[in-house]
Parts: sequence; C-alpha cells; structure tokens
Amino acid sequence: MRRFGIRRIRFGTFIAGAAAALLVLSACSAPAPAQQSFASWDQVVVDAKGQTVRLWMYGGDEQGNAYVDKDLIPAAATLGVTLQRVPVADTRDALNRVLTEIQAGTRDGTVDLVWVNGDNFGTGKQAGAWSCGWTSQLPNMLLTNSSDPLLGNDFGTPVQGCEAPWSKAQFTIAYNSATVTDPPHTLAGLLDWAQQHPGRFTYPAPPDFTGSVFIREGLDSVSGGDKNVPLRFDQKAFDRLTPALYSRLKELAPSLWRQGKTYPKTSAELNTLYAGGQVDFTMTYGPAELTKLVADGTYPAATKVLTLNEGTVGNASFLAIPSTSGHKAAAMTVANLALSPEQQAAKADPRVWGQYTVLDTARLDPAQRALFEQLPQSAVVPSYDVLSRNANPELSAAWVPALDDAWRRLVLAGR
Amino acid sequence: MAAPAILITAFVVIGGMATALAQSLGLFPLVGPPSLTVAAYAAQASDLPVGIGLSLAIAAASTVVACLVGFTAALVIVQGRWCGKLVAALGTLTVPVPHIVGAASVSLLLADSGLLARLFNAGGSWPELVGGPWWIGVVAEYGWKESAFVALVVTGTLATRAVSYDETAALLGAGRLSRLRHVLLPLSLPTLTVSATIIFVYSLGSYEVAWLLGRAYPEPLPVMALRLFNAATLTARPEAAAVAIVTTLLSFGAVAAALAYLRRSTLWR
Repeated sequence: MRRFGIRRIRFGTFIAGAAAALLVLSACSAPAPAQQSFASWDQVVVDAKGQTVRLWMYGGDEQGNAYVDKDLIPAAATLGVTLQRVPVADTRDALNRVLTEIQAGTRDGTVDLVWVNGDNFGTGKQAGAWSCGWTSQLPNMLLTNSSDPLLGNDFGTPVQGCEAPWSKAQFTIAYNSATVTDPPHTLAGLLDWAQQHPGRFTYPAPPDFTGSVFIREGLDSVSGGDKNVPLRFDQKAFDRLTPALYSRLKELAPSLWRQGKTYPKTSAELNTLYAGGQVDFTMTYGPAELTKLVADGTYPAATKVLTLNEGTVGNASFLAIPSTSGHKAAAMTVANLALSPEQQAAKADPRVWGQYTVLDTARLDPAQRALFEQLPQSAVVPSYDVLSRNANPELSAAWVPALDDAWRRLVLAGR
Repeated sequence: MAAPAILITAFVVIGGMATALAQSLGLFPLVGPPSLTVAAYAAQASDLPVGIGLSLAIAAASTVVACLVGFTAALVIVQGRWCGKLVAALGTLTVPVPHIVGAASVSLLLADSGLLARLFNAGGSWPELVGGPWWIGVVAEYGWKESAFVALVVTGTLATRAVSYDETAALLGAGRLSRLRHVLLPLSLPTLTVSATIIFVYSLGSYEVAWLLGRAYPEPLPVMALRLFNAATLTARPEAAAVAIVTTLLSFGAVAAALAYLRRSTLWR
C-alpha cells in the first residue's frame, strides 16, 4: 500500500502543481477564489499537523460513534491531527450551524467536517456552505471507481469535489419472522400485508430521513417501478405520479399503528415500537445496526431482512468540509484517512460498524483486498451484493421536500 | 444600579427579536437578494391558526393543572407536620430536574410500551397518553414540574404573610373552608397569578416536551418553528422566524394581560 501510495502522491503532486500553475495564470483574468487551496498533497499533510478537526456527525448510531472514537481518532492522531467527534441529533443541525456562520461572516467556524448526503448536501451546496474541488487531491480517491454513479451524484446533486465518499448504504426493511409468517416480496405486497393486519405496521413521519425514503420507495412502487419516475424533479412528473402515491397511503392509513392518526416522529421511535413488539416491521438506511440489535436482545431474535424483488434505494454518504472551516488541510487529511483501505475495512466489519465500503475492490492490491475478504458475515443481514441487487437510484434532492410537504398536507393533516 | 442587568437583557431580548423579525420579513435570506415581504407568514397561514390554538390550549391546561396541584401542595406544606415536610422535600427535588429529563421519564412511564403499561399488563388497551390526541403526556409533564414551582413560591408567600391572618381568623371562629376562601386564597392570588403567567409563557414557548411527548400533527408553535428552522429548504428559515415571532407576540399578550390584572388587584402593593 505504501509503495503505491507514494507513487500516487508524486503523480498527484505533479497534477496539483500543474493545476496551481494554471490557477496562477488564470488569476490574471479572474479574481482569486476565496477558498484556501493547496499546491500539493505533501503541503496538505504538513499544514495539517497540529490542527484540530471537529467532525459533526449524526450521534444516534452507537456503533458509528464507537468506530470514530476507537479507530478513526487514534489513526488521525498518528498523522498529527486532533480529531473531535461532535454528535448532532440530525445532520441538519450541522448544516444550520454552517449556514448561520456564513450569515455571520465567520471564517474560522466550529464545523470542520460533516458526515452528510442528500438534501442536506444539496441545500448546503446551493447556499455555498461547502468547500469544493478538493477531493481530487486525496490520494485514496484513486481507489474509488470514478464512474460509480453513487459517488458522482448525491441525490441528483453533482458532487463536483465538494465532498469525499465515506460509506455506501442500502435502504432495508426488517421484520419479525416469528409474527410475520407470510412475508411479502414487493413493496406493494408490504402495503397489502399492512392492510390485512391492522395496527401492525407504520412508518416514520417525513421529514424524518427514513420515513422520507419510505415515501420515495412507495412512489417507485405505485408508479410501476423506479424507471417510471424521473430522477430530476419536475412539477409535471410530480403532479402526474404523486396522486396515486398519496391516495394509496391515505387508503392504507386506517390500517396502520394507531389507525394512522399519528405516526412515529423519528425512525428511533419506530425502532422502539418494533423492539417493544407493537409493530412487526421496522426500516433503516443503516442495515448494519440490525446485527448488533438482534445480538443484544433489543430486537426479536427472529428478525430478518425483507428482500424486495424490485430492489430498494441505495446511496453513498460523504464527508464534506464547510466553507467556513479554518482547518481545511487537517479536514482533508482525515477525509483521506477515512478512505484508506484499512479504515474502510475496519468500518465495514459488522462487529464494528458494518458500513459498506465506497472503494472499488478491483483497484486494491491483494493485501488490501484480503482485509475485506476476511470480514465475518452477519447472521441477520445479507451481504451488500445481495442487499443491493436491483438497487434503485435516489431521486434528486428537489423531490424530497416536495414529497415530504405533500405527505404532511395530504396524508398526515388529512385525517 | 440596574443598568448592567437591563443592558444585557435588552441586548439579548431586543437583539434576538429584531433579528428574528428581520429574518421573518425576508431581510436576511440565505439565498437571493433581501426584500421586505410577508411571504413567510403567508406561507404558513394555513397551519398557524391550528398551531396557535393547540399551543394556547396546552399552555392553559398545563397552567391550570400546575396551579391547582401546586396550591394544594402549598397548603399541605404550610400546615407543617411530617406530611407537609415530605411534600416540601418532593417539591424541592422536582424543581431542579430539567424538563427534557422529565419528558423522557414521562415517556418511559406512560407510553404504550412504558413501565405502567407493562406493570398493569394492559397490552393494547393502554390509553394513548403519549403521542395521543389529547396531549395528556405533555400536560402531565408540565403540570408535574411546574406544580412544584408553584408550591414552593406560594409556600413562601403564605409562610411570611398569611400565617398571622390565618390564626386571627381561626381565633375569630372561621372554619377551614372560609379561611381558605377569605384568607389563604386572596393572599396567595398575586403570587399565583405571577407563577401562572411564568408557567403559561414557558409552556407556550418551549419545544422539547411537546416534541418528545406529542404527536406529528397538529404541531404546537415551537415544534413547528423548529421543524421549519431545520428544514432542508432554504426558504423555510424565514417561515421559522415568522412562527417564532407569532409565539413571542402571544407570550407578550399573556404577560400584558397578567400585568393588567395585577394592577387592578389591591393586594399587589
């Protein structure tokens, strides 16, 4: 790994040097970019030493917290970077902090790195909240497949070097096979099952992240497959496709938990209902957590993953550097470290976190590949290959608030 | 002497409110040029009346419960004996518990799969106290926490002002009920009014209890403001500020009404 790394770094240095020369030339005609940029990766590594990076991330995932605390923070320390994990209840809190800092004109903000994707990334990009064009300088980016659609577009927003990939995820529905003896195999079948078994199914109320995904899954389902839903948002498609979705969900509502008069406000509430045996299904964008929750007895031992014939949506999550961060070099170093095969393999271990890697295993050397092949299999969650079969792409971020708002108006308030 | 305190308070209150007001009127947009508009208020016009009604109802119910329970507790405390000491100790222990911890405890206790439901093995027949249509969990939490506050404040008044009047009335042959009606209640009324105003305004403006123990729809104003503030849509921030301004106006209205009432009360001076 080291040998390859050095060669890449030199090549990267050359490219970056050429880019810097071009920048100097172009600076004659255009104003210099306000954002700090680095001539070479070596300079990034040198500048990073002694800096502190505050990584703002969703704090409700205990395995994720433990991975960062026990693996990523010590590894960053060996590079001379002090990494601090700042837990937030929702990634929106981190984005809001950055937006507030932008409004206040802060240049050395409190957020240096954010675990982000989807609408938060899209919104932030629209508001100029992220540093852009830095990921191509990361040596470990060469280990990812640059033509992977999950890494090139984040919910339809072009990534354009504004965030470095970190993990892949697959939306997963889990059920208690002790009480559900006739599990459905399609989402339409799941909704039918819910109607036949009143009170045993519900979903989190959007704008909760998981509930919001469920609505999009429903849209794909009632539209006759994801191919019939354009990824780019346009009002005509929305007006044409969504009436069927909302009428199906309204029809379903009386059969839901508490007659659909209310919904769990967060996916955590749904998980509690599932753990307490009040509903038979739960859903998550982080299937890795299921293994541990079943092992420690929180979830019923008979918990299984519901594989849908039409597939479920998958996405990648990223690390973004806010434009207000004063520690860009160190933040880039951490993003590169998080992309290293060692860290990606440690993170993919179901006993640690079980987050699927964003690296392209074909680009790894045999020793690196072995790290991933040694990972143990989970008894509850099938492998990523099985889980992501027929994976559907995420709709563009502009769909998300439109679908969520209409759901509030038509399904939630309509009862 | 009061200047430093006034300056700091004014800086926070006036500064914060002015910012919120400007943001709600479209003067601090995250994207695009600033322009004076009431679009943020108009955008939430359909949800605001329901939110206002719900917030006022929760605040009123919580205030009534807290005052009834708190006043009764104060009477028990003032009459002394071991029972009064126990109630005083419980009240003192309750006051420092943060509302969010109280809300989490109420949820563990009263929810469908909570402690009480399991204890009574109620299964599906447990009433919808948490997240139910009547917001009982929310009112119960505010009522519990704030009744301790009322009890301690009213006890202070009764202990210093009422005991001598009460004894005089008793010596003159007044029964328990008439002493309550003609001595204890009128003497504690100003204190009760002030406490009630504080509780009303607090439960009107705080979000965490209603968010944890409430339901997804309809929403009280603070929950609505926070949801909009955290929304991924950039135009939602002015709407959040608009909801916050409406909440503030309601609070000011409540305080003004309470002050007007106190001004007429002869006992105030």
